[in-house]
Amino acid sequence: MSKLIMTADDSASIRQMVNFTLKQAGYEVIEAVDGQDAIEKLDSHLVSMLITDLNMPRMDGTELIRQVRAKPRYRFIPIIMLTTESQDRKKQEGKAAGATGWIVKPFKPDQLLGVIKKVLK
Amino acid sequence: MTDIGIMENSQYLTFKLDQEVYALDIIQVREVLDFTEVTKVPRMPEFMRGVINLRGGVVPVVDLRLKFGMSITEKTVDTCIIIMEISLEGESTLLGALADSVQEVLTLEPDQIEPPPRIGTRLKTEFIKGMGKKNDEFVIILDIDKVFSSEELTLLQDAEEEPVLKRAES
Amino acid sequence: MSESNRFMDAYRQEAEELLSEIEQAILDIEDDPEDREAVNRLFRCMHTIKGSGSMFGFDAIAEFTHHVETVLDKVRAGLVPVSKRLIDLVLASRDQIMMMLNETEGHQKPDTGTRQKIIESLNAMLFESENDKTLSAEKDIGRPPSFDTTQGKDMTYRIRFRPNREIFSRGMDPALLLDELREMGDCSIMAHTDGIPSIEKLDPESCYLYWDIILVTAKGINAVRDIFIFVEDDCDIRIDIVEAAEQNVEEPVPRLGEILVERGDVIPETVTKALSEQKKIGELLVDSGSVSRGKVESALIEQQRLEKQRLSARVGTVRVPSDRLDKLVNLVGELVITQARLSQVSADMNHAELVNPVEEIERLTTELRDSVLNIRMMPIGTTFSKFRRLVRDLSAELGKDIALITEGAETELDKTVIERLDDPLVHMIRNCIDHGIEPPAERKKKNKPETGTIRLAAAHKGANVVITIEDDGIGLDPDAIRLKAIEKGLIPKEAELTEKEILSRIFAPGFSTSEKITNLSGRGVGMDVVKKTIESLRGTVDVSSVKGKGTCITLKLPLTLAIINGLLVTIGDSYYVLPLATVEECTELTKEDVEKAHGANIMNVRGEIVPYVRLRDHFEMKENKPDLEHIVIADVYDKRIGFVVDHVVGGHQTVIKSLGPAFKGVKDVSGATILGDGTVALILDVNALV
Repeated sequence: MSKLIMTADDSASIRQMVNFTLKQAGYEVIEAVDGQDAIEKLDSHLVSMLITDLNMPRMDGTELIRQVRAKPRYRFIPIIMLTTESQDRKKQEGKAAGATGWIVKPFKPDQLLGVIKKVLK
Repeated sequence: MTDIGIMENSQYLTFKLDQEVYALDIIQVREVLDFTEVTKVPRMPEFMRGVINLRGGVVPVVDLRLKFGMSITEKTVDTCIIIMEISLEGESTLLGALADSVQEVLTLEPDQIEPPPRIGTRLKTEFIKGMGKKNDEFVIILDIDKVFSSEELTLLQDAEEEPVLKRAES
Repeated sequence: MSESNRFMDAYRQEAEELLSEIEQAILDIEDDPEDREAVNRLFRCMHTIKGSGSMFGFDAIAEFTHHVETVLDKVRAGLVPVSKRLIDLVLASRDQIMMMLNETEGHQKPDTGTRQKIIESLNAMLFESENDKTLSAEKDIGRPPSFDTTQGKDMTYRIRFRPNREIFSRGMDPALLLDELREMGDCSIMAHTDGIPSIEKLDPESCYLYWDIILVTAKGINAVRDIFIFVEDDCDIRIDIVEAAEQNVEEPVPRLGEILVERGDVIPETVTKALSEQKKIGELLVDSGSVSRGKVESALIEQQRLEKQRLSARVGTVRVPSDRLDKLVNLVGELVITQARLSQVSADMNHAELVNPVEEIERLTTELRDSVLNIRMMPIGTTFSKFRRLVRDLSAELGKDIALITEGAETELDKTVIERLDDPLVHMIRNCIDHGIEPPAERKKKNKPETGTIRLAAAHKGANVVITIEDDGIGLDPDAIRLKAIEKGLIPKEAELTEKEILSRIFAPGFSTSEKITNLSGRGVGMDVVKKTIESLRGTVDVSSVKGKGTCITLKLPLTLAIINGLLVTIGDSYYVLPLATVEECTELTKEDVEKAHGANIMNVRGEIVPYVRLRDHFEMKENKPDLEHIVIADVYDKRIGFVVDHVVGGHQTVIKSLGPAFKGVKDVSGATILGDGTVALILDVNALV
């Protein structure tokens, strides 16, 4: 069975692009529009990996990461955050919250898959 | 004489085959050996007499008399093997030719050489580079690369092909 | 293309929604400058427009929005106050972005002057609020793109990777990073276990292991560093260039102690002291507790690596034109011949004082011969590595999942043999991929692992090298081959053949010339060419197969083309050599044997009927036929075939000489050799004789 990856982003176009890229590569994808949405959906699905934006309404990426890591079933899953080059501080916060790695926007589908390969068995 | 390409004074090694005098451009001649035992290579045209050991190398020996339609070269005290360097399909290789006797090294000027006659010789015209004249005696200058073009060498080799085990298997 | 268009449309739509939200947020802020939530919302929207814009090719928008976002970030942090000027600027920016969005749809040309003015005003606002230090510091955290001098040539890297204990709780699996390293090149990994505490103190969620890795790759140090990009901040990672593969070939490989010191695992004094005790340095260091056994073993691996690489580098540096080598081989061949003659003469003379030096010369000659022939030897691995690519590309193309396993890459073969083997191997591996291994779905149905395996192995076996190409695919179908062979007229309809004999028909010329055979297992594409090439190298080809389970092709090749073990025989006055590798036995052919066969060329050898070829007749030699002839029974195409000769002289170290281009057309003779007395003996090609 292929692995389920969650993409949390308030930008529909980014979600669409991530979703498309992952499905092409044979992964299952579940979308969340913000941190809150992600937390709710994480409880009803077993997700193998989380790809999250940092700036999101309701609950931002850093808080999402912190809450996901607090859940026993998600303590060791890889979490990748999407950042922009000007967000070094946010990146550090995300890492402190427990993010595994990051991808700097803009990125190409290949780069996304490359990072997934790095962290997801 | 430009049409036959002999422009300068050249030296030739002359030798006899059945009373006729032939000549080879000295540039192509490596050495002259006394006749030694030739190991026959089976199922080759008869003029391919076999191979000899030339200081550790294996060199094929041909019988020019047979090639030119004369009788087989008989071994006498004068019989020699002329080792020459020929070009075969662009590959330079050594080849020995049997001669009844080796005569001399002859210098010919271009005006002493005439184009090959159309008729009156035993061999194909294309084997002849020209006719040299020396003391009223004609010398046939060979185009040895042509004589041993791969076409000439392989002409007869494909003659026998059928498997010999036929009888045994039936 | 359509996909990216779809994303662009989605982005435009999204951006328009965000822009109206931005408008809303600005107006909220105008109403209540203290509305933090509205400021955050405003920032986030701008951020999304920027981030997504750069993703889908709206670079101008992304660049412009970046300036707005930077100011808004300061507003969020309270560094830039909310003012009428700010609100006007953001609104103007919003309109500008809207215009730029439409621009891509072919609407009005944007007024770049306005855009520039807005950017200047935004920047001015930043300058007023504070000095620009943090801004520029945050601007670019990417690595400056610098020219990587380590790229493109093989370098040896020593990497110590000591992960943070907490690495698992960050969702990182160090094993995946090690896998990535392995994919980069030749890689040795040594795990250190000395950090693991006793079981009662062990926290199963912590990472106690750390690794030493020796990696040889041409991808450059930046690519190596990039592997660790997610963990470099909180893990202990040291990457050193040990040595560029091509340098310092002449210098000795560093000693174990030197490596340990260089790594900082031990101080030089400890090494010196240990050395003075004259025991194995590694043992000593471990015993003295200066360093763990793991560290020593790891350092040993590095040393071995370097040694191996030096060795291969040395192979690369000795470049001799092959004609010089050929000349040397020829001379040694001469020497072997002359030495044989000397031994013969010495034996005849029976002179006591001669015996010792002659034996000594024999020993030296043999040694010299072996060393000279060795110069021409190369590991076959260079060829193997090429096939990995072939398998990868071709299986991807055909939608198959195939792993190539190679064994014995270090097996050495004559350079000429290796070069000539290239094409046949490519051919056979292609066959395995093309026709042998089934698509994953089909394999699954057959309860086979979805990944098919091709095993390419080389090994020494006596004076031969045996190369096997084995797959776990569909196998060969003897019935189908039989039908096909009958159809092609290769075997008589009623012929009773063993399975092995049937399978060997795939090597018959004309068995198959088409690229694909549908109702058959499919092999046979030019296998006759493969066989021909192998035989021209004095080798043999063999096939075995279990239907449905796989196929195995075995190539047996002589170590060298220059010298073979031969069997010297005579016919009439001439000497001939038969390759000893094919000879099975020799026996007499008496007049009674001939009479019993009633004219057929067959002989009863211990109840087995063996057909034979009368070489005397075949070579049209009439004279001196002896009363008692001899028959040499050889293995030809898996059949026992006899060759009738006059006498069998015995074994002979045969230095092979080419007959040259003049004898290109000759079929029965594969070369010549010169005997001790200077006469020339011809080497017979038994396969061509039948």
